[in-house]
Amino acid sequence: MNGTMVAAKPADVAKADPVHVDMRGVTQRYRTGRRGDLLALDRVDLQARRGEFVSIVGPSGCGKSTLLYIVAGLLEASEGEVLVDGKKIDGPDPERGLVLQNSSIFPWRTVEENVAFGPQMAGVAANKRRTLTKHYLEMVGLEKFAAFYPRELSGGMKQRIAIAQMLACGPSLFLMDEPFGALDSLSREVLQDQLLQLWERDRKTVLFVTHSIDEAVLLSDRVVVMSPLPGRVKEIVPIDLPRPREEARASQAFGQLRNHIWAAIRQETMEAIG
Amino acid sequence: MTMLTASRRTEIAEPDSRPDAGGPRPSKTISDRIGWSRFGAITRYYPVLMLFILWEILSQLHLLDPMFMPPLEDVARTFYKEVFVTHELLDHLQMSVMRAAAGLGLATVVGIAVGIMMGRVRAIESFLDPLISALFPTPKLALFPLIMIFLGIGDASKIALIFLGCFFPITINTYSGVKNVDKFYIWNARTKGANGRQLVWHVIIPAALPFVFAGLRVATSTAFLLIVASELIAANDGLGYLIMFAERSFDPALMWCGILLIAGMGFTVDRLLLALGARLFAWQDS
Repeated sequence: MNGTMVAAKPADVAKADPVHVDMRGVTQRYRTGRRGDLLALDRVDLQARRGEFVSIVGPSGCGKSTLLYIVAGLLEASEGEVLVDGKKIDGPDPERGLVLQNSSIFPWRTVEENVAFGPQMAGVAANKRRTLTKHYLEMVGLEKFAAFYPRELSGGMKQRIAIAQMLACGPSLFLMDEPFGALDSLSREVLQDQLLQLWERDRKTVLFVTHSIDEAVLLSDRVVVMSPLPGRVKEIVPIDLPRPREEARASQAFGQLRNHIWAAIRQETMEAIG
Repeated sequence: MTMLTASRRTEIAEPDSRPDAGGPRPSKTISDRIGWSRFGAITRYYPVLMLFILWEILSQLHLLDPMFMPPLEDVARTFYKEVFVTHELLDHLQMSVMRAAAGLGLATVVGIAVGIMMGRVRAIESFLDPLISALFPTPKLALFPLIMIFLGIGDASKIALIFLGCFFPITINTYSGVKNVDKFYIWNARTKGANGRQLVWHVIIPAALPFVFAGLRVATSTAFLLIVASELIAANDGLGYLIMFAERSFDPALMWCGILLIAGMGFTVDRLLLALGARLFAWQDS
């Protein structure tokens, strides 16, 4: 079994859909004063095809979130470049939607106003905004909570609002930084299923950072395993489980994939801890 | 940040009142619906009422020197006369309020603008931060003689003094509020297409507003302090002048009218600000 899960070859990446996101030699260095620089990311080459679900897993401090923020255009890489649809990115863009771990939705806006944020910034008229908002709130099943403030909602609901807020901007690429990381395991499974349904319907490209191997295997077409300090791509594991995946959690192949990835991360983590 | 702790302290002095940043009240109870809570707000201040009663009793027993503390009914009678017959008290009140409002209003507009710029533009921050740190602890009242040399003893010097006194707490609070805005709110807004202006307007300002408001409360009490002080020093009208005038013309009842009026006004404005804050910041975690 392990033999089939070697790192993806370039030919494998180019096979079906065109490359959507192309990270080329992305390197990130942080100045840490006298002790010299900290190398957070070291020449990361990674591609995602259009409509592909790619998860990035690795121990804490492997720079996986940093990589995502670079693709979002929020951080500038020290070296290397990121191409989206063949064009070099320059700053953030609503085309590249971002969902963060801890609710980054705005507490001073109601649920409805939060979802309408992107369209409002783009100058969409108020009545059209209302229709859009209603649509996306229904999609995440929270239309009853339109007038609520975020503090009145559970963690899972807040993350669904964050997803609806991103969807309302109409992005073609979803960047998700441990979006379910702060949730209890029940909410987490429900939201994973909802995200799967959403993805299977629209087939947008997703870069999904997580520290949960189960989550990565369940959701992804490919799982990128990163090594810590400096962050490098250690292995890329294609997940060939049949879709829809909701039932896949209990299957034997699921367990084997999970164990394989866990073995890779464990070794890296042990090395990092020393 | 010292401003914030100062405003906290005034809140702690009212154990029953919700903090200005508090969330909405819990769902309405029966007593809320028939207006008992409003009645409760009045009964909460019964110690103040007791103080007045004690005052009156001690006066009746001739235990208070009427040159310092006349019977409360004398004060009430003078108050009635000055308000409804001669209107003199109202004229003085109007002058004081006008000056305080002008200085405070100007300080609010300029202070918020400067605070936001300091929080957002590195060059402005590094230029103004040491200046403000150095000037902030100076008692502004010490500058009043100097201000009078430039602006005379009229309204302008008093408005300038109040402006100076209110500018610092508002600027410093706005600045720290802007600096405290969660990075992830800013990131979230930027990935949703907000440009620089929209970022300030839709994210920075609403997120920093509770801080700005705390500064505004401190500034308001500073404005009251400075208006009375400057009118005590040099003025021909205003409540501070009235208090000084009454003291010099041996009219303690009139003096107490001025004192009680200014105290009542300070209290009322602070309560109004608290109520406005509770409404504006209903979104905050309590």
